[in-house]
Amino acid sequence: MTSPALEVRNLFKSYDEGRIEALRGVDLSIADGEYVAITGPSGSGKSTLLHMLGGLDSPTTGEVLFRNVSLGSTIDLDTYRSRNVGFIFQAFHLMPTLRAIENVQVPMIGLNRGGFNRATRARDLLREMGLENRMEQYPNQLSAGERQRVAIARALANDPDILLADEPTGNLDSVNSARIMEILIGIQQKRGMTLIVVTHENEIAHAAARQIRMRDGKIEA
Amino acid sequence: MAIGAFMGLVGFSNAFEQAWLRLYTSSGTNIAIIQRTFLSTSLDESATPKVKALPAVAQATPVIYNVMDLTPEVNALVYGWKADSYELESLQLLSGRPLRDGHPEVMLGDLLANSLSKKTGDMLPIQGSPFKVVAVYHGGSALEAGAVIMPLDQLQRLSSLQGKVSTIHVRLRPAPSGEAPDHYLKRVQAQIEAALPGLRAVPAAERAENNQFVRLANASAWGTSSIALLIGILGIANTMAMSVFERTREIGILRALGWKRGQIMVLIQLEATVLGLGGGLMGVVIGWGALHLLAALPQSAGIVSTYFPLPLVAKALGISILAGLTAGAIPAWRGAQLSPVEALRHD
Repeated sequence: MTSPALEVRNLFKSYDEGRIEALRGVDLSIADGEYVAITGPSGSGKSTLLHMLGGLDSPTTGEVLFRNVSLGSTIDLDTYRSRNVGFIFQAFHLMPTLRAIENVQVPMIGLNRGGFNRATRARDLLREMGLENRMEQYPNQLSAGERQRVAIARALANDPDILLADEPTGNLDSVNSARIMEILIGIQQKRGMTLIVVTHENEIAHAAARQIRMRDGKIEA
Repeated sequence: MAIGAFMGLVGFSNAFEQAWLRLYTSSGTNIAIIQRTFLSTSLDESATPKVKALPAVAQATPVIYNVMDLTPEVNALVYGWKADSYELESLQLLSGRPLRDGHPEVMLGDLLANSLSKKTGDMLPIQGSPFKVVAVYHGGSALEAGAVIMPLDQLQRLSSLQGKVSTIHVRLRPAPSGEAPDHYLKRVQAQIEAALPGLRAVPAAERAENNQFVRLANASAWGTSSIALLIGILGIANTMAMSVFERTREIGILRALGWKRGQIMVLIQLEATVLGLGGGLMGVVIGWGALHLLAALPQSAGIVSTYFPLPLVAKALGISILAGLTAGAIPAWRGAQLSPVEALRHD
């Protein structure tokens, strides 16, 4: 059996002094190179689970292990996020004051990579996303599909092991949705990365090797 | 604005100090004898012969100085000198003749004469008494060029200080060969203080730096600047706090992309520093402009010069960077503490 890239043990997450329970005892194991879709109704805890898997937040109890190492103890969350994880958000979350090529370099600045290497890598990634003619544009000069492709390039900047996408096609039309998913799956297969996508869309979920359905903070099936 | 105030005020007090120093050096005064007091110094004129009697002393002359209103708009430094004072030698008479003791007459610095539109032969009322302008002179420093010089006895009468003087200026004989000038100066200082118990003999450079006018100007410049700087720091802190609040989501993005708390702090502090430095540079320009404006105004031309030393500029820029860092510290810390998830949800 392939060793797990991520493992979740008895994960609980509550907010507002325990009044809101977003996750209520989640156990999960995701193998290296696996493509997993997390689905479920709004408020089921899927985004919270994704945040825990990506080290954006800490669990109230339980633990998340990356390659058998507990997040937040042996490996700190900042280092984990910068070296091992790439995030793609529904709202793109690009820096509005930076050009496309500069946005892609932001994660590399976090790792103190040299300016020349950063620019070369950002250029290569944007070219890979088919944005060679849009590198100098600001986010507000790009279409929604182009913005999401810049965000994907940014997520790949530090060559992460895991790609986490939270409703990556939520703000896109069907043509752009299909193109983005084609890119994401292509990256996952070409690079052997672990891809975890939170989605409402059945088509995207069905394309995944495994579907995890959540309801009321628990894994349903 | 705070740095502008600092540059203007501290620059003014520095220029004032330099003007005092030029006043002493141009006349060749080595030592000033004063009372051991801070605000006003008043000593007996009769001490002068005792100083003159010391072998190392070439010349000694009693002096009174005061600031007086000459017109409702113009005030000026007024010196009371003896007609035989060696200090008159350093002045370049542009018109007229030197002073005579016991006569109600004055010599005007060229800057002041221009401000007052007075020339040799005109009358100038001071404190209700008429004085005849007997000369217009050119002085090397703003403190001379913008001043009035009158006979010592006349200023004693106007100031109700008969028999009293502000200071006695002393010009020394050259140092004996083989003796270092500093050592010679200290030795003569000690001799003068031994001859005049209760009085201090202060080297001219120290006197320029520490006389009551300069000390008051310095104290008020630093005091006012400190308050202005505090307000400036609060202004930058407010700007940075607003900036951090408005860019909460951007900070969240950076945190989500793996930026460490320290890197977020450095980013915000860098911005605060640039803001402080930018303000500082503008302040330097404003201060430079303020000094030039003050030096051109008749009310202040006599005591303000445009002396603008580089160390003062460096000090102002250093203070502005420090102000930026201080003001940015709390917003930077708060920005770094933001939870990535909460920050990303921020509108």
